[in-house]
Amino acid sequence: MPLRQRSVRNAVVSMNSVPLLSVMIWLPALGALVVLALPRQNVAAQRGVSLGAALLALAAAVGVALFFNPAHAGFQLVERVAWVPSWGISYTVSVDGISLWLVVLTAFLTPIALAASWGTVERQERAFHALVLLLASGLFGVFTAQDMLLFYVFFEFTLVPTALLIGIWGGAERRYAAIKFFAYTFSGSVFLLLGIIGLYLLHGQATGVYTFDIATILASLQLGALRLDTGAERLIFGLFFIGFAIKAPIWPFHTWMTTAHAEAPSSGVVDIIGLLIKIGAYGLIRFNVQLFPAAAAWAAPAVGVLAVIGILYAAWIAYQQTDMKRLLAYASVSHVGLIVLGIFALNTQGIAGAVAHMVNSALTTGALFLVVGMLVARRGSRELKAFGGLWKTMPWLGSLTLLLALGSIGLPGLNGFVSEFTVLQGSWRSPGLGWRYTLPAILGVVFAAVYLLHMYRTAFMGETLPELARAPDVRPRELALLIALATPVVVLGLYPNALFGPMQQSVTQIAQGTLPYLASR
Amino acid sequence: MTEIIIPPIDWRVAAQLSIIFGWASVLLVIALFVPRSRTRIIGYLAIVGVIVAAVAGIPLWGVNAETFSGMLRLDAYSLTLNWLFLASTAITIALSLDYLPRQGIERSEYYVLVLFATGGMMLLAQGADLIILFLGLELLSIVLYVLTGFAYPRIASEEAGMKYLLIGAFAGGFVVFGIALLYGATGSMNLRAIGETLARQALTPEERTYLLAGAALVVVGFGYKVAMAPFHMWAPDVYEGAPTPVTGLLSVGSKAAGFASLLRFLVEALAGEWQIWAPVLAALAIATLAVGNIGALTQQNVKRMLAYSSIGHAGYILFGVIAAGATDGVAGQRGVESVLLYLIAYTFTNLGAFGVLIALEQRGEAAWDMGDLAGLWNRRPWLAIAMAVCMLSLAGIPPTGGFWGKLYVFTAAWLAGMGWITVIGVIIAAVAAFYYLRIVAQMFMAEPAREAPLPMDRALRVGLTLATLGVLILGFIPTPAIDLVQRVVLGVRG
Amino acid sequence: MVPTSYYILLSALLFTLGVVGVITRRNALVLFMSVELMLNSANLALVTFAMARQDIAGQIVVFFVIVVAAAEVAVGLALLVAIFRTKHTTDVDEINALRG
Repeated sequence: MPLRQRSVRNAVVSMNSVPLLSVMIWLPALGALVVLALPRQNVAAQRGVSLGAALLALAAAVGVALFFNPAHAGFQLVERVAWVPSWGISYTVSVDGISLWLVVLTAFLTPIALAASWGTVERQERAFHALVLLLASGLFGVFTAQDMLLFYVFFEFTLVPTALLIGIWGGAERRYAAIKFFAYTFSGSVFLLLGIIGLYLLHGQATGVYTFDIATILASLQLGALRLDTGAERLIFGLFFIGFAIKAPIWPFHTWMTTAHAEAPSSGVVDIIGLLIKIGAYGLIRFNVQLFPAAAAWAAPAVGVLAVIGILYAAWIAYQQTDMKRLLAYASVSHVGLIVLGIFALNTQGIAGAVAHMVNSALTTGALFLVVGMLVARRGSRELKAFGGLWKTMPWLGSLTLLLALGSIGLPGLNGFVSEFTVLQGSWRSPGLGWRYTLPAILGVVFAAVYLLHMYRTAFMGETLPELARAPDVRPRELALLIALATPVVVLGLYPNALFGPMQQSVTQIAQGTLPYLASR
Repeated sequence: MTEIIIPPIDWRVAAQLSIIFGWASVLLVIALFVPRSRTRIIGYLAIVGVIVAAVAGIPLWGVNAETFSGMLRLDAYSLTLNWLFLASTAITIALSLDYLPRQGIERSEYYVLVLFATGGMMLLAQGADLIILFLGLELLSIVLYVLTGFAYPRIASEEAGMKYLLIGAFAGGFVVFGIALLYGATGSMNLRAIGETLARQALTPEERTYLLAGAALVVVGFGYKVAMAPFHMWAPDVYEGAPTPVTGLLSVGSKAAGFASLLRFLVEALAGEWQIWAPVLAALAIATLAVGNIGALTQQNVKRMLAYSSIGHAGYILFGVIAAGATDGVAGQRGVESVLLYLIAYTFTNLGAFGVLIALEQRGEAAWDMGDLAGLWNRRPWLAIAMAVCMLSLAGIPPTGGFWGKLYVFTAAWLAGMGWITVIGVIIAAVAAFYYLRIVAQMFMAEPAREAPLPMDRALRVGLTLATLGVLILGFIPTPAIDLVQRVVLGVRG
Repeated sequence: MVPTSYYILLSALLFTLGVVGVITRRNALVLFMSVELMLNSANLALVTFAMARQDIAGQIVVFFVIVVAAAEVAVGLALLVAIFRTKHTTDVDEINALRG
């Protein structure tokens, strides 16, 4: 979609046009307030308003994509308003090729998550919709904020709605999962805050300009106005890294995530919670690699080891799971490992593949979570053993699930293959990583096929269990949701250029920043 | 016969103080003619007085003057703090209007005493002389002893009052002896005069001993007042026993006033000795953080938990106090600003939290157990949201006022060359978030265990709304507050 | 003439006695007396310094301290009477309805 509309506008669109990004960010929050003001009984209106707000935000995101100029590497559609001028904090939002994809993804998944929840939320539906919308606002903000402090504010802003969504509407262990989620990510975020304060003050002391603006700091770093000595750079890199590694989550920080995903509400909300973890990988690219290329090159081998361990370990645990939601949660951890491996390949293929894989895994894993949610709603159990032979009673769901699972596994022709292949290619060619990292990662990808097909075979093949003999096939609404998710799986698999085109310039620019440090080793 | 010459008095400096003290005395008389069933009127009148005093401060902005032989000073620093005290007093009275009759302890003296306490706080903020600081401290403290024991015949309240009095008098002894030694060392009780004497470095070794001992004793005395470790142990008991609105006032107004005078004392009189007191206070700040937050972690009683949390916050404010004395001007200025901003954010937040506790408290029974908050979201959603906002602010999560306060003190401490306390403070903040979050989880994720609390009185609702909105507005639009505190200059830089 | 430092030493000694009294004694009335001792030791120091420096300020502060001490004791005794009515004790260890 963004590829065809080249050069609608040439470069940076400034404040005097419609603030499209801000509209997109704040529409869901506005919708949340409206939903809260509606009468409690009027569920139809609540659903209508929340879905409407989400769809309008999607329209705004499509508009952003149309105005986006893929030939330009830097930040586009910049909107800047001073927030706390005396501290150099501004409300600066803009997109580059990397954040564009995450924004579009968020906008795409939010209405699906809302529509998928209809009928599965038993109580306080009004608050549920409002929280999902607030979360969407927070996510848009995180992916577009180009001011470190604004980024942090949005980063934290996503925590509370998520914790409440898990804690109020989640599974049996929801309180534990919510508190664990919050404790982990908040602990990570304080390191992030330390890193931000440190970078802010060092930049201010070196240049005399106290600002949180990422573009300014990036320019100072690249032009040498701010020279961090190796120790300071690695320290701040490390602070940022801890924050994002917990969020991503990179092994061994992943345990909050599997609990949170397993206990999250059975409806599509897990899709949007799945987007949260993309913040981690996004932050690694935006901050760790872009701002500190030397430290990133220094840390790449070690991070690569963590990533590979994560890929293999999570795949192995996923294979042993009997609980379908936990299985998918560990599959996500495994995907994250692959994404991080791609990022720390520090070359164009690696990073582009990582961004593409963020999109693809959000689509396929999210869709599979949705399928599991539908199955759980019909059977009342998450145990794999409770299912069998669903193909016979539910042919539609069976075929769509197969498509999604194959996409997730990385079957050529579907979306997962493209990004996985690119990531592996990038890590193979990376001077910091190489084949020693790539071969085990490939093994992990093969594992993914084993556990997903195992799940599929157990649930859908064989004899139909008597309890499931009369389970209804997908309803029209569910079918529409699944088709909406499956379409990009096929389209992006057939036309990978649609995926890579818009981000090419931005990724190349970031990868080039690391070149001098990789060559020197 | 020698004629006694009364030096001219600059009434601008004493305007707000005079209004509060005068109005409190007038109310004491008016109360005689108000029937017991209409005591509430005195409360409303007290709020009117507070508002008048606050408005009277508006034309005084920009004034930098002193009077009474340099004992009382009005500057941007004290005016900002006066407004903060007046705001917290107004909210406290609004919260009390419903609470007192509900608990059967409504007496008109209560409101008068609260006004006198406010006057004491303002003396502490405006005092430029050790005598005034001592008088303000004692005025505030003595009034608070009475207010703490106000719920007679509830024994817990009496005991809390007694404990507070014994500790307070003990601390007062330290302050007086400290003042005596400082006087002996420098020959003056005026803060600036002491600072100038130190700047000339004209002290004999003996005088220097007096100086350091005296300064230490004064800091210990104020340490009790602001509940800084290791002088904090009275706080949980007193906070628990006092009537809840008084606890709110104790935790914000009294603490803020203590910090106000401690800061002025350290910056104006002792800036020259920063190299000595900064490391000591840094160690105390870390100890305070540790004691407060670890104590809060295990509490099941929300009121006690808030007491420990307030000890912890004293630690963060100390970060700003330490930075304020820094020899580096930028860091010092940041330090002063950060203390003020932190106090502003903290005042609104804590009053909001105690307001929720007040709303939960039925007559004669405490509702401070964690279990009493269970499922509050289902019973009284707005109350739960207010409490959640306050907890997030105390934890320092954006977009709330508490976040900006934390950010401010952390940057100030870092700039003052105390990066290491920033690191420890941030890590402790992560631990602290856990117990605040526990309350949020309890309200939103647990099933209700009790029936819905009493419907709220309008005054209580207004007070609670003001506090919560204050937290949120500070969070979303911090610029006006930051601009305000950035106008404040203290000490030799002034 | 006795040097100033002797007076200060004496007042420091009295102050320490007062502090020790507050820390070790358990009867509320004795505690009040100990606090009184602390305050009066400070008064002695103030008067000494005022004498040594030929400055009136120190002597004036003493009056303030005396007044404040009286007010403090008045409130303290009122509270003590209130507690005594319910508990029939002035021992601070038995004033323990609050944990801590």
